[in-house]
Amino acid sequence: MSRDAKFLELIEITTKFDTLTALDKVSLTVAKGEVVCIIGPSGCGKSTLLRTVNWLAPPNAGTVRLEGQSVGQAPERRQTGRGIRALNTFRARMGMVFQQFNTWPHLTALENVTRAQVVVLGRSAAEAAERARAALCDVGLADKIDDWPEMLSGGQKQRLAIARALAMDPSLMLLDEPTSALDPELVSGVLAVLKSLAEKGMTMLIVTHELGFAAQVADRVVFMEAGRIVEEGPTSQDLHAPKTERLKDFLAKLTATQMPSAMAQKVVAHDPI
Amino acid sequence: MKFDISYTFDALPRLFEGALVTLQISLLGIALSLCLATGLTLVREATGWTWAHRMLAVYISFIRGTPLLVQIFLIFYVSPVIGLDIGPFLAGILAITLNSAAFVVEILRGGLASVPKGQFEAARALGLNGWVLWGKVILPQTFIASVPALVNEYTQVLKATALLSTITIVELMRVSQQIYTRNYHPVEVLTGTFLMYFVMCFAVSRAAAQLETRMKRRQA
Repeated sequence: MSRDAKFLELIEITTKFDTLTALDKVSLTVAKGEVVCIIGPSGCGKSTLLRTVNWLAPPNAGTVRLEGQSVGQAPERRQTGRGIRALNTFRARMGMVFQQFNTWPHLTALENVTRAQVVVLGRSAAEAAERARAALCDVGLADKIDDWPEMLSGGQKQRLAIARALAMDPSLMLLDEPTSALDPELVSGVLAVLKSLAEKGMTMLIVTHELGFAAQVADRVVFMEAGRIVEEGPTSQDLHAPKTERLKDFLAKLTATQMPSAMAQKVVAHDPI
Repeated sequence: MKFDISYTFDALPRLFEGALVTLQISLLGIALSLCLATGLTLVREATGWTWAHRMLAVYISFIRGTPLLVQIFLIFYVSPVIGLDIGPFLAGILAITLNSAAFVVEILRGGLASVPKGQFEAARALGLNGWVLWGKVILPQTFIASVPALVNEYTQVLKATALLSTITIVELMRVSQQIYTRNYHPVEVLTGTFLMYFVMCFAVSRAAAQLETRMKRRQA
């Protein structure tokens, strides 16, 4: 396989929290430019899997590789010492967006976006500010540059968080339920930003409950349950013609509660439940 | 004996000089204790040095478990014995700093607890760690969250400097003692002293309230 096809590799990842096995020998390969949505019931390990990629949740066993280079290999934790520098370089190449935004409340929008550029990438203050302005523009916050995060709405905060990640010019974006903490009316703005990113060819790994969104942007959908990947395939197949009973069941439950988008109706139409 | 306010007025210029010394000592003590407590907080939260964590716990429980006056005397009288000739001023500053730092460490722990775990994760995910993670992301938020409790601690420190009069530091309390032991009008002189302390503490708490509103405005 070409290098692009194996852009990101997760190999036999096992993560245990005390007695609970959060991930059980999970392997996943993502190609360059591919958008992969991870869905599944809560507690299935999808967030842990995402956090394994940038070693925020170091697994007990397994390897993560980005473009063939090992980001981390369990049980090595690399939280201190020489390894941390190498790990930071990898982390800078992977933008992460959290459910709870995690924007820094003591810094303005611009400072939120420039800080890591200066420290990690060694950009000058002027360079970083220029890149930050462009990133804030891309997410539609051009007029909020000097605002404090607490003055922004949830959706704006999340877009700020996305800009913060984008300004690092990452080669991969990790998104952990980016719209789950948002009021329904704010979701669309964030999704629009993510959609345009996908169209620009950004490689993305997205944990989401937005099936309609997944249907629009994802090349592939991964369904997880109890720390394992249960079903994995092209979006159209996974969402429209699931192979496993478990995924059928899950989709039915999700579509019953979500707005009846065209997508959801399609799923229901395919699914006699 | 009648209350004669003229004795208060007569004492004011010297009391004012004493108040300046009190301000100096308390500001120095405050600054040093904040630095020390920040360092200790980093040791406790950002390192895995178990021995240091244990020593810190012992230090905090000793400071909290004994009167400040005893600590002041101990440092003042013991330091020459062990060959440290630091004089009353430095001994006083040292006592105030060591005492206050133990409380500030606990205050900062509370402030730190209010910083969401996600703030660390966001910083780490961007490739930040160590000094930058703590200095630029976590500690500023810790301090902001700790402001009300810190102000409270610092009015305590300002008032506690009165105890330093017992080790011959000529601060506000000592000055007033010097005056009323000569003119035998303790009530009038101490009234002036009382007001001086009050004005200083009031100024500190007002300034802090201003600071808080300013921070709230930018965060709300």
